[in-house]
Amino acid sequence: MLFSSLTFLYFFLPAVLLCYFVLPMRMKNAVLLIFSLLFYAWGEPKYVFLMVFTIILGWFSGLMIEDSLGRKAAKFWLILSVGIVLFLLGLFKYADFFIANFSAATGLSLPLLRLALPVGISFYSFQMISYLADVYRGSVPAQRSIIKLGCYISMFPQLIAGPIVRYADINDRLENRSLSMSSAAEGAFRFIIGLGKKVIIANSMGALCSAFSAASEESILFYWLYAIGFTLQIYYDFSGYSDMAIGLGKILGFEFMENFNYPYISRSITEFWHRWHMSLGSWFRDYLYIPLGGNRVSKPRWFFNIFVVWFCTGFWHGANWNFMVWGLYFALLLVLEKLWLLKRLERSEILGRIYTMLLVVIGFVIFNAADMPEAFRQIGGMFGLGNAPLFNAESLYQLRNYGLLLIIAIVGCCPIVKLCARAIGRLGISALLQPLCALGLLLVCTAYLVDGSFNPFLYFRF
Amino acid sequence: MKNKIFAIIMATAILMGMLSFCLVPTKSFSESERRLLQQTPEISLESIMDGSFMDEFEAFAQDQFPLRDSFRGLKSQFALKLLQQGDNNGLYISAGHISKLDGPLNEKMLDHAAGRFESIYAKYLKDTSCRVWFSMIPDKNYFIAPEAGRPYLDFEELESYMLKKADYMQYIPIAQLLETGDYYRSDSHWRQERIEDIAETICKAMGTANLGEHEIVPVLQDFHGVYSGQLANSSISDRIFYATNDTIRACTVTSYDSGSPKAVPFYDMEAATGRDPYEMFLNGADALLVIENHSANTGRELIIFRDSFGSSLAPLLIESYDKITLVDIRYIQSAMLDQFISFDKQDVLFIYSSGLLNNSMALK
Repeated sequence: MLFSSLTFLYFFLPAVLLCYFVLPMRMKNAVLLIFSLLFYAWGEPKYVFLMVFTIILGWFSGLMIEDSLGRKAAKFWLILSVGIVLFLLGLFKYADFFIANFSAATGLSLPLLRLALPVGISFYSFQMISYLADVYRGSVPAQRSIIKLGCYISMFPQLIAGPIVRYADINDRLENRSLSMSSAAEGAFRFIIGLGKKVIIANSMGALCSAFSAASEESILFYWLYAIGFTLQIYYDFSGYSDMAIGLGKILGFEFMENFNYPYISRSITEFWHRWHMSLGSWFRDYLYIPLGGNRVSKPRWFFNIFVVWFCTGFWHGANWNFMVWGLYFALLLVLEKLWLLKRLERSEILGRIYTMLLVVIGFVIFNAADMPEAFRQIGGMFGLGNAPLFNAESLYQLRNYGLLLIIAIVGCCPIVKLCARAIGRLGISALLQPLCALGLLLVCTAYLVDGSFNPFLYFRF
Repeated sequence: MKNKIFAIIMATAILMGMLSFCLVPTKSFSESERRLLQQTPEISLESIMDGSFMDEFEAFAQDQFPLRDSFRGLKSQFALKLLQQGDNNGLYISAGHISKLDGPLNEKMLDHAAGRFESIYAKYLKDTSCRVWFSMIPDKNYFIAPEAGRPYLDFEELESYMLKKADYMQYIPIAQLLETGDYYRSDSHWRQERIEDIAETICKAMGTANLGEHEIVPVLQDFHGVYSGQLANSSISDRIFYATNDTIRACTVTSYDSGSPKAVPFYDMEAATGRDPYEMFLNGADALLVIENHSANTGRELIIFRDSFGSSLAPLLIESYDKITLVDIRYIQSAMLDQFISFDKQDVLFIYSSGLLNNSMALK
């Protein structure tokens, strides 16, 4: 189920909130687990059993690891359970990629498994791994209640597109949490903002990208419109989803970590990755980069660690070569920055930002391409390699069609909107303005959803 | 207190949405969009496990949402007025007309249309004394878009592509006779009262120059065309006028749409005030229709392979023919035509709009 769907907004959400707030505190985790499984089953009825299996596996393994802490058995249970989780992830997400490439390399024609990708498997697998690793490290106690652990793994606000929540961050809230009007109001506002980002801006940018794909003629302008449009689409899509998840979490009494912090104002790629998909970045840092030795090793080993982490980051996003190239592309940029560029970039307000955005835009063209030849063709098209004219009637029309939206989307990537909202808040009219804006935004988003315009969630495929 | 009020307002909004959805009765048809609406999906273990129940429920929620047309109108206004977008779902307003973006040229679709025509020609017409003509009608976007700065399907390119494929037919060019005002403002079709010159050109090309005199009669009710409904904009409307005379009044029209003959009105006044008033012309969408002109004795018959544009054109051609047969191969398999028509020495006209040719998958 999509957050940005009428079914979620006007059926699922009222139902879950009514049950959640009416029933006593001791039953809230069970309510959340039941509705979360229902939420997941709505989109993936068959794979809900896989989810239940993962929960049971994690719950049992967590207990076994804790019971055998300090002994070799703990490591055994950790390796076994993490191995099963990774096997399932590999089976559903990567098996066909490996089979296809093995067939291509050897000339064999092995049949593909053609398994549908369970939605959100990359997210909940990583949450389960972090839980098991934290229990093994002794940094969190194993959860004895399968309902509470199930609630953590399957919690619908962050189930299918993150943020990747650490068990340590919500352990206390699973046991005991307070609900308040203040956090519910804050969460509702955050949810509506995220919904607006997704429905009005991300979907419109998605339509621009679709228009580019359907265009009969190429032009340099259209290549750039597409590249910028997709860069904005993925930001508003994913950060909008994160806003909705964080907002829902607040309504339900949880605090999820922030996932985005204005990444497009970064002055370097290093800074960009501190601001973009922060929950994934910190997961790889804590569960891969640091265990590999982090930066407290020799320089060649340090760079090797960076390449491993970014290869995995790219591969996590999808079973395709372009995702791996995308990850390694950022690894290379990060190494270059660490060696030479970073200090120079940080000294320059403007140059650093132009450099970062240019490379990020190119990175997202690689990310969204069907394959590497297409990525090269599109990047080449952006820089006039090929026979495309500077512009044509269609690209000029699309510039006009999406011009104001592009400006709004670009301005919205900067903290200026937040600063303006704070300034308005200081005028003392926010009590009136906030509900009006939120209600207006809800109505407009509902109108967009009723009209049935373009509504995919990009991060569903991960 | 501020937070409490805000939380209550938002909770009330979504609860109101849910309650009104449950209380408002479901509709079966959208008048404005002219389409059937999704009904409550049937629930079963199978439909849940294969996900079809969920898909249908999503469509049901979208189709049956309370105040659906008002919300669609809000979205349209928000996109066009506030965000200054050039179109809403491909529709835009310019020079008092609602038009729809078309194009780009789809060679695969044009090949499909050309293939259908060629197969009809080879099977029924090639070895007869039939004389065969071909004509194409540009979409109104072709006239509006250049002025409005919108992309459009290049009609000349489409025309030249199709002519290469259909060189066995005599071509009657009519695009140069058309202009924006010849089309309804809120609909895709041309206005019958404005295409007498087109009919005359076609008649001349086919060697029958007798159009006759027509009375132009208005339909009293406003016509909100298909674009008006799709854009959820009722501010732009039209008035339908139809051409009639003693010959037309004496004609009988028989529909073979259901397989057996059924008398239908030449101009259906009930349809003129119904869901799609353009359907007043010759029974609207109809697979096979025969007009018999009892006042004429020309010895000539015409067979028109056509889309909906042909419904308003055919009445203007009837003066010169004893009989006109209209065939819409979107609704009848062309392989079955010899069960209803005996091809011999008739005049045959293929006349299609560019929009249909460029999206011709429905042609059978």
